[in-house]
Amino acid sequence: MGAKKKINRRDFLKATGGALVGGAALSTGLRMARAMPAEVKIGVIYPLSGPVGYAGKMSRDAVDLCVDYVNNKWPKLPIPIGTWEGISGLKGAKIKLIHADHRGEPDRGADLATKLIMDEKVVGICGCYHSSVTKTVSTVCEKHKIPMINPESTSPELTKRGYQWFFRCTPHDRIFLRDFFEFMELLKQGKVSGVGAIPKSEIDTIGACTENTEWGAATRDVIKEFAKEYGYKIVSDVSYPHESPDLTAEVRRLLAPKPKVLMFASYLSDAILLTKTMMESKAKANIFWSQDVGFYQPKYMETFGANTEGILNRTVFSPKLLAVKPVAAHINMEFKKRTGVDFMGTTARAFTGMQAWAYVLNEAGSTDPEAIRDTANRIEIPGKDLIVPWKGIKFEDVGGETNQNTWSSGLIVQYQKKEPEIIYPLDVATAKFTYPWPGWK
Amino acid sequence: MPASERICFILFVIFCLVFPWITKGSFAQAVMIQFLIFCLYGLGWNLIGGYGGQVALGQAKNVGMSAYTVAVLMVWWDIPFWVSTPLGVIVATIESFILGYFLFRLRGHYFAIATIAVSLVWQQLFINWNLIGGARGVELPLRETPNFLYMQFDSPVYYHYFAFLLVLAAILYMNWFRKSKLGYQLRMINSSEDMAESLGISIHWVKVKAYCITGVFAGLGGAFYTVYYNYIDPFSVMHLELSVMIALMTMIGGAGSMWGPIIGAMILIPLDRYLGAWLGGIGIVGVDFMIYSMMVMIISAYEPKGIWGIIEKARGKR
Amino acid sequence: MELLLPATISGLLMGMIFGLVALGLAIIFGVMNIVNFAHGEFLMVGMYTAFLTATILSVDPLLTLPVAAIIGLLLGLASYYLLVRYLLKGPMLAQLLGTFGLMIFLRYLAMSIFGPDYKNLEHGLLIGKTINWGPVVLSYSRLGTAAISLLAFGIIYWLMNYTRLGAALKATALDVEAASYMGINTERMRGFAWALGGATVGIAGALLTNFYYVFPTVGLLFVMIAFTTVALGGFGSIKGAFIAGLIIGLIIDVGATYVGPHHKLALIYLTYFLVVVLRPQGLFGW
Repeated sequence: MGAKKKINRRDFLKATGGALVGGAALSTGLRMARAMPAEVKIGVIYPLSGPVGYAGKMSRDAVDLCVDYVNNKWPKLPIPIGTWEGISGLKGAKIKLIHADHRGEPDRGADLATKLIMDEKVVGICGCYHSSVTKTVSTVCEKHKIPMINPESTSPELTKRGYQWFFRCTPHDRIFLRDFFEFMELLKQGKVSGVGAIPKSEIDTIGACTENTEWGAATRDVIKEFAKEYGYKIVSDVSYPHESPDLTAEVRRLLAPKPKVLMFASYLSDAILLTKTMMESKAKANIFWSQDVGFYQPKYMETFGANTEGILNRTVFSPKLLAVKPVAAHINMEFKKRTGVDFMGTTARAFTGMQAWAYVLNEAGSTDPEAIRDTANRIEIPGKDLIVPWKGIKFEDVGGETNQNTWSSGLIVQYQKKEPEIIYPLDVATAKFTYPWPGWK
Repeated sequence: MPASERICFILFVIFCLVFPWITKGSFAQAVMIQFLIFCLYGLGWNLIGGYGGQVALGQAKNVGMSAYTVAVLMVWWDIPFWVSTPLGVIVATIESFILGYFLFRLRGHYFAIATIAVSLVWQQLFINWNLIGGARGVELPLRETPNFLYMQFDSPVYYHYFAFLLVLAAILYMNWFRKSKLGYQLRMINSSEDMAESLGISIHWVKVKAYCITGVFAGLGGAFYTVYYNYIDPFSVMHLELSVMIALMTMIGGAGSMWGPIIGAMILIPLDRYLGAWLGGIGIVGVDFMIYSMMVMIISAYEPKGIWGIIEKARGKR
Repeated sequence: MELLLPATISGLLMGMIFGLVALGLAIIFGVMNIVNFAHGEFLMVGMYTAFLTATILSVDPLLTLPVAAIIGLLLGLASYYLLVRYLLKGPMLAQLLGTFGLMIFLRYLAMSIFGPDYKNLEHGLLIGKTINWGPVVLSYSRLGTAAISLLAFGIIYWLMNYTRLGAALKATALDVEAASYMGINTERMRGFAWALGGATVGIAGALLTNFYYVFPTVGLLFVMIAFTTVALGGFGSIKGAFIAGLIIGLIIDVGATYVGPHHKLALIYLTYFLVVVLRPQGLFGW
């Protein structure tokens, strides 16, 4: 017969002891949880709707992917965050992203930043793609003394304001344009493989075609400055309203003086329209270069296919890097699984910006804004951990700028057989440069 | 002012005075300040568009011109807010005067579309005017706060009270205006131009004057915007959507009534900001616009006098 | 000078399309004095219709014309009977903002259904091919669409001037009361004007899809051009819309080539402003 369970002293002690230990453990656990947050919130402000909604949404996908890597174990990932399950420096606190859509409006962005900081209590902000929105959002952050990491806005002014709480990862337009002019110097010196020394007379005139919102206008100013510095003549300088119904006049004006080097700064829709119009006009030049964005979107390649042969793009990322950077290959594969496209310049930087956040939080070991800022000021993230081909991330105050990532760099890629081959810097080139640009017949 | 309005006034004042203590600098506070800015725009527009019945859809140019004047003066020559703002308002008003002089020869739809065209021309000019930034806008440098000389503060509470004072002044002015000679003349013109003419009212001048006063309100709003957000560009202070929003809001609330603009702003601004924030996070696009465009269509079709009109009808029935 | 010829030709070709876009607006305004702010969005609907039809049914974009015309017609009718009819009873502010509300509604409806992405057609009879004519490069799509637009103009012109329906429409436009005394169902005429306006702009949209890309805010770009064209041509005049379209096309292309493309939009608006101030009835207005 089963013995009736008698509550004897031993059992009683065991039970009480268990309860005590359990209670102690529970209360310690609670105390620990209160001391170290279970999750840390970061606000992400991008244009998720409107004309560049496609870019904003993809950037959002990129940062979401990064957070997935941080919050979960990914054993195959060859960098530290693969082993993390949450931010190890914050005792495993998981990142929670709170997304907001600024629609391209600086005042809306600023108010959303206020919301994220005051209502959602984020520890910091990531964003915003548009340089104009980044300006107002960073001002809000500066006033509230909350750190902001900007992955991809390239207006040079952003780091010239002396802001202490704003950190920019990406190279800015001056850096990119200097890369291009330096590249042309190398071409003239015959140092670029695939082509002999190009006589100056073949590439001495520039036709610039830029859209006229903040970004295009900034690019245009820098082109003018460098053209003067390096001794080029700008023979046509066309600035057009973004989202024009028709660009035939613009193209005509651009091509009329027959510039030997064509330089563009366009968003996707304009890039497509410009290209179509230029194809109809059978445009010809020796070099065709564009500032990423419009001419470097997957949809551009989709639309024009083999007609993109020879076009140069400044960017920070090319799928060609996958062969030389295992990290990039691994993460790109996952990104492609989720979104259907490879990383490109914008999305690669968005991912990197969020990665910077993760590293900074990890090293700071605290969610205190000052601690985060101080960490950001001194952190050095090695390039091998990043998917972009940079030396790494180090925010420095140099040359009149504050908190600019001086370890960042640009690439120049050339579409060859629909693939963006790296042409510059020379030491990471993946193919020979083809010259001249074939044009459209 | 009639009893119903006096109640509105008292409630409004109390609400604004107490608000910052309830919301303490949160998103609600930001929305409130946006609301106050639009009250200012709306009360001003109500003058020409509501009382005057002249559908001017180009207010954004006044906002923008004043904003730019203030921004450029502050950035280039460090001119304090209290000097650059009157200058900004003067610039906006001069433009209104010159433009009004020509445009008020037109009537009806021609006038409305002409105001749109002018506003767009100005926007294009500012976009291409590289001397003052062009498309890159003008960003104000950060200064030591709190700074009353340049109206720069870390906490939104200062901005809130300042905006509130501006709106208060606007309400008191409008209360005076509608009983003033110019106010009566304007409303007479709106109801019957022939009658007004037979009374010897100089129609053209009344309209121009009213338009200038509207420009003053828009200019004040623009100046405030500049020091509040610290950055302006032709797309954020001179865009057509702004002009339309101001007119839309006033109409929904009740054009030609004292509290119409405020009611309209009270509905549309929080709707725009909160719905936008909520939907944007989720990623659903455009629903908020569809909602308020439906509101506009319904009110246009069924109750053009707006919500105040509905309130008055309800009171009338009692 | 070598720029002038291509600029002129391309301006004229584009101008015929502008004229067709503006035609619907001209008819509606002529018949009932209301400005349809949503006109650009009607164009956008025509473009999406053509795009969807061509893509889903895998037909040439030219075959989508009748579909776009029908959808445009229905849209015009719906707008009239559900909204505009009521707006006409109210003050002008209500009329203007009512159609403005319709514009925003259609635009964001398209945005939420199709997303903000730019879509374009790749395959078609007219797409992507060009012919050379001396120094001028002409694209098939522009030539073809200009030709069809000319045809559409012709049909409408014939309708308005040589049929009883057209006469009834004109009568309603000139004097509503008198027209109703004559036994014309003026209410139905108004509805018809909207239907006709919607259909023509639907066709214009379908034509545009041959060489321009489709996205939810495309209407905004064209509506100001349309307003300017109608103002220049004279609200209510078909001949005016055609000629004004050509002029506007020339101003945009030739002006932009010489004055500078970034002033292109300013030129358009300035033209509008000058026209309404100096000659409000336009060239041929009623």
